[in-house]
Amino acid sequence: MRDHALLHVNGVAREVRGRDAFMMLAEWLRKELGLPGTKIVCAEGDCGACTVLRAFDPPGSSFPEAPFEAMNSCIAIVAAMDGAHVVTVEGMESEGELAPAQAAMRRCHGSQCGFCTPGFVMALSGMVEQHAGEPIDRRVAANHLTGNLCRCTGYEPILEAACSLRTSEAHRVGPRYGTLDRRARARSAMESGFEVEHDGLRFAAPTSLEEACGFAAANPGFRVVGASTDLGVPINKGRPMPETLLSLHLIPEMYEARADDSRVSVGARVPLSRLRHLCADAAPEFARFLDLFASPQIKNVATLVGNIATGSPIGDTLPFLLVAGGAVGVASLGEGDGGLKRREIPMTELYRGYRQLSLAPGELITHVTFDRLGSDRFLRLYKVSQRKDLDISTVSAAFSVKLDRAGGGGAVGVSAARLALGGVAATPIRLPAVEEAIVGTLDAARIESLAELVAGSIRPLSDVRGSAAYRSVLAANLFRRFGRELLDG
Amino acid sequence: MADRPTEAPREGATVLPDPGSEPHDSSRTHVTGRSEYVDDRPLMRGELVCGLVYSPYARARLVKLDLTAACAVPGVACAITAADVARNAWGSIFVEQPILVEQEAQHAGEVVAVLAAESREALAKALRRVHAEWEELPAIRTIDEAIAAASFIGVERTIARGDATAALAAAPHRLSGTLVIEAADHFYLESHAAVAYPRADGPIEVHSSTQHPTETQHVVADALGLPFHEVVCIARRLGGGFGGKETQAAPIAALAALVAKRTGRPARLVLSKDDDMIVTGKRNPFQIRYEVGFDGAGMLLALDAQLHSDGGAYADLSTAIMERALLHCDNAYFVPNVRVRGQVCRTNHHPHTAFRGFGGPKGVALIESIIEDVARTVGCDALDVRRRNVYRPGHDVTHFGQKIEDNCLPALFESLESRCEYRARREAIRSSNAAGTGPLRGLSMTAVKFGIAFTTRFLNQANALVNVHRDGTVQVSTGAVEMGQGVNTRIAAIVAERFGIAIDAVRVMTTSTEKNANTSPTAASAGTDLNGAAAAKACEAITRRLGHLANHLRGLPADRWPSRTAGLGTAPEFVVPEGPPPSPVRFERGAVIVEADGGDAFEIPLPRLLGEAYLSRISICDYGHFATPNLGFDKEKGQGRAFLYFSQGVAASEVEIDRRTGEVKVRRVDLLMDLGRPVNHALDMGQVTGGFVQGMGWVTTEHLFYDDHGLLVSHSPSTYKIPSVQDTPRIFNTDLVFNERNTANIRGTKASGEPPLLLSLSVWTAIRDAVMSERERLRGELELVPIAIPATAERILRAIERETFAAIEAR
Ligand SMILES: Cc1cc2nc3c(=O)[nH]c(=O)nc-3n(C[C@H](O)[C@H](O)[C@H](O)COP(=O)(O)OP(=O)(O)OC[C@H]3O[C@@H](n4cnc5c(N)ncnc54)[C@H](O)[C@@H]3O)c2cc1C
Ligand code: FES
Ligand code: FES
Repeated sequence: MRDHALLHVNGVAREVRGRDAFMMLAEWLRKELGLPGTKIVCAEGDCGACTVLRAFDPPGSSFPEAPFEAMNSCIAIVAAMDGAHVVTVEGMESEGELAPAQAAMRRCHGSQCGFCTPGFVMALSGMVEQHAGEPIDRRVAANHLTGNLCRCTGYEPILEAACSLRTSEAHRVGPRYGTLDRRARARSAMESGFEVEHDGLRFAAPTSLEEACGFAAANPGFRVVGASTDLGVPINKGRPMPETLLSLHLIPEMYEARADDSRVSVGARVPLSRLRHLCADAAPEFARFLDLFASPQIKNVATLVGNIATGSPIGDTLPFLLVAGGAVGVASLGEGDGGLKRREIPMTELYRGYRQLSLAPGELITHVTFDRLGSDRFLRLYKVSQRKDLDISTVSAAFSVKLDRAGGGGAVGVSAARLALGGVAATPIRLPAVEEAIVGTLDAARIESLAELVAGSIRPLSDVRGSAAYRSVLAANLFRRFGRELLDG
Repeated sequence: MADRPTEAPREGATVLPDPGSEPHDSSRTHVTGRSEYVDDRPLMRGELVCGLVYSPYARARLVKLDLTAACAVPGVACAITAADVARNAWGSIFVEQPILVEQEAQHAGEVVAVLAAESREALAKALRRVHAEWEELPAIRTIDEAIAAASFIGVERTIARGDATAALAAAPHRLSGTLVIEAADHFYLESHAAVAYPRADGPIEVHSSTQHPTETQHVVADALGLPFHEVVCIARRLGGGFGGKETQAAPIAALAALVAKRTGRPARLVLSKDDDMIVTGKRNPFQIRYEVGFDGAGMLLALDAQLHSDGGAYADLSTAIMERALLHCDNAYFVPNVRVRGQVCRTNHHPHTAFRGFGGPKGVALIESIIEDVARTVGCDALDVRRRNVYRPGHDVTHFGQKIEDNCLPALFESLESRCEYRARREAIRSSNAAGTGPLRGLSMTAVKFGIAFTTRFLNQANALVNVHRDGTVQVSTGAVEMGQGVNTRIAAIVAERFGIAIDAVRVMTTSTEKNANTSPTAASAGTDLNGAAAAKACEAITRRLGHLANHLRGLPADRWPSRTAGLGTAPEFVVPEGPPPSPVRFERGAVIVEADGGDAFEIPLPRLLGEAYLSRISICDYGHFATPNLGFDKEKGQGRAFLYFSQGVAASEVEIDRRTGEVKVRRVDLLMDLGRPVNHALDMGQVTGGFVQGMGWVTTEHLFYDDHGLLVSHSPSTYKIPSVQDTPRIFNTDLVFNERNTANIRGTKASGEPPLLLSLSVWTAIRDAVMSERERLRGELELVPIAIPATAERILRAIERETFAAIEAR
């Protein structure tokens, strides 16, 4: 058992204990390590000013080399960075020479006030790591920069900088920092679990599920921490940190992600970016939809299980999971023998109310599973938000129907349907009345009347993201869009 | 994007050599993360971190504020309340705003106490233990409520020409309406920040993220009860300002200084983005009622408009902002009969303040939106109506009586119309919209004619200190604050040019009130105009003396030069006479050249001449003061020369709207501006694209949402959506025309900070264009659809599906 978390920062190993372990990474870098290049603007993952690169070899993994990827350091708890290698903007120059992203930003006037600049440099560097040797076009560049806000430049010069990047293997930080000795040190440290404490706070990271469930049973108030992209935000906004945090990052099983012919299974520590990769084949519509989810910085670390466990009514993956037969796998310590007790909870039974899950005390989520939809299913996922990218949904929708007759003549036959909406109630919901009414032959006229039914079967609220009426109209209009696409094949 | 200015589209223009595209002077430290902002300053031993306690209600009486539990948290050093403030009132125009609430909060987010602690954890804990009891009081939340209650700030201002009432009565066509423009947050990335260092042996030193170090110095001194010379305010650089740090940085700095003075320890107050957005004011919301008269060809005959703005709880700069709105109601168009009246309302919102454009965008929004409606009413293309009404020879005097010299507007319209293929695209859009399927599209071209100068005359002054060193390098200090606009780089370019040296031989030093006092805020796009001119004046004083010395040395045998004799005192000392040097002198390529009258030119390396000057006891440093000449606007009469010159431009925007959701995508923008002869082309282009995209946010997605108690809910980027990289126009052609005719200003430049933002209104008018064509298609008749700013997706869908929304809301 270790008494510290181990991480590398710009090539230097750091053993972290006490107060430091419970700080947010950005704050720790700036104030404790004297690396103020990393900026904090929003402290909630929405601006990218705090972007750093992170490489992490999951325990027991056989990755040839863990890539350095962009992440937000403002909402990452230092202890949870155990095993990772973090590179900050201060670590980018090599022997006094600017890194390619730095030189390009300078050459193209990509920086005015400069406050966003370190974050952009790091996001661009993350892109360089991923696309070394490939040409960068505006679309690729924009997709890597979705998580970074700039108020001065209008982005044009930054995009120009991105597209002018001549990246080669030689420019990568990966080989410079991710050396074998450092990785070996991190791996061997991660073979033992650790616990750190400070001022009434505890952070535990066991190496097996049994230990984790034991810890959960012994500490009723525990919270599991994933990438803390959700958990970290209220803490930064003045809410106290949960007193007992449990991290599953040292348990190899949590990194499993696989798809067989009928189902996809995703472990609790699988980041959304990896899930996106897996789904490209296994659930293409979901993969496409994930492109509108948050930002690269968030997706490189955030987990599907975290999205589910947060239980937000506007969790973007939830409507999909509701229509794709999603279920969560949970584990706890059995009553008598102390062995592991596992069960599955279907998504349709998971939410009891606003952000309330039907987990028993001591239970934690180990993985999620959902169906691979066959070719007789027509699925569409929609998201409407105030701003197209990096925004929380006003309304999101997952509409899936089972076809019994191919289209033609302006009509299709529907034998079954699963329709779900997010953002229109305290939890994501299915629309049973519409699901029932939709069965049969569907043409333009029926789509129109069903759209009315959709609007009529919800009672959304007004909030900062839109009025109740807007949500109703959106829900109906998204259904109309679905119907149109269905008829058009 | 073109990377070079193109030739002006009219006669008399010459292509100049490359105006230079020096990278920003901080670009290297920006990209390496070494640029230091206030909160990057290393922590001092014993330093305290501060946090704010503020009202959650728009208006409320403070019944009880109990800080005992908060102060009992280990590590908490002190709490400051109103009783601790020596002079609890400040304000740029009216001194009326408290630094800390005494008994009654006038807006949600008004600060009532500051807590200071040794660690962030202790501070967070202490803030959770503050016990404040408020009695919520009735509040004024809207402009209409303020009007009903006659709750105003300052007096109503009027600008008039001709007889608007009579001309309206006689006009063949009339339209009237109300335009609603909401607030917008500056969203500078660096939130307000200040660190105060108490000095046992000297003045208190405040590092502040302020656009106005002088005012900050004064407000801090007053709050602490100190004379001005006991406070130094330093502003190294800002992570963005956009007007939001012109006035509102001062009380923040004062709060940090109060803690520092009380405890004798350094104190740091860095607002979280949430607190920053809740506490500080925004762009003023406006509500404009108007009536316009025009003829069948769309010629504008009369405009009568009543502008009301929401000033928030305190005056701040709102009256000056209103003045600028009134001065921009004409924008690019000649209207013979005008009466525009403006009144600032006092409400219970955060005190609204300067924001890029400073009222100008509201006036411009009004007339540009009117033109769209006029065009639809008379059945013409809006661009034709614009080109008919544009200021032109014979019709080039504004409603406030200033003649527009150097009017490029007709040429800019003409040039952009063909460059952006306006007519062909208009046709394509018309037919694609008529189909009624697929995305809905809209196109609109608007203009900007932005007056440069502070409308308050006394602010149009600046000073600069130029220290030349004997190796030929220069340090310049001015009151200008660098916040990304590149003012330091431009000033360095101006100074480098004066001395004929490379730009990297000039360093612009940290802005500090101990070097430059009584300065104006860095605002009104005038930072380079004013401070660059002051620096140039200081340079000219030095080059005049050096020129005399060079003339003198030319005729002096080498062994009599001061470097040979000064130490010994064997030769008489040269005394610089009045007036210009006898033979003209050029400063070029690091050397000083005296023109030959007949014989060979005399050339001496600058460092050598500087050495000789020093030894001759001739000052090679100087201080320049500049006051903009020829300004004379009478605010009470609403007439006069309000501006030194006008920055001008046009932009055409094409938008695409999702009919089912109201979401907008900007497909293409073509933008053409006249910025005179730029000092630095790249920096100007940066201002243009940056300003345009910033304005796009204001007119589309940036939506401030308040709860029922008047507290801002959208106080962070998760709910307040500024444009992201994905929102930039898919095609974005920006170009500058070269114009050498602007003689009004330093080096013939034109200010570029604010004007481009106003061109983003073309996105909003394009949205209206799309929506109105859709309504016309759906209903088969003309419908003029008002859409408030911002035109959010919801508002757009509401405008398109008005009946559906009405039915649902009636349920
Ligand atoms: C900038 C930003 C943008 C975002 N954009 C989106 C978006 O577009 N769409 C969207 O839906 N969400 C979005 N989110 C929310 C968030 O990123 C997701 O919910 C994410 O999937 C959470 O994963 P995580 O690993 O970070 O979870 P964490 O924050 O670590 O945990 C979230 C919650 O789940 C619990 N939890 C985590 N793992 C387990 C487990 N194994 N067992 C039991 N409980 C567990 C935690 O205790 C906590 O309550 C965004 C967040 C940010 C900061
Ligand atoms: S500070 Fe904004 S994303 Fe981290
Ligand atoms: S350069 Fe100022 S925010 Fe990007």
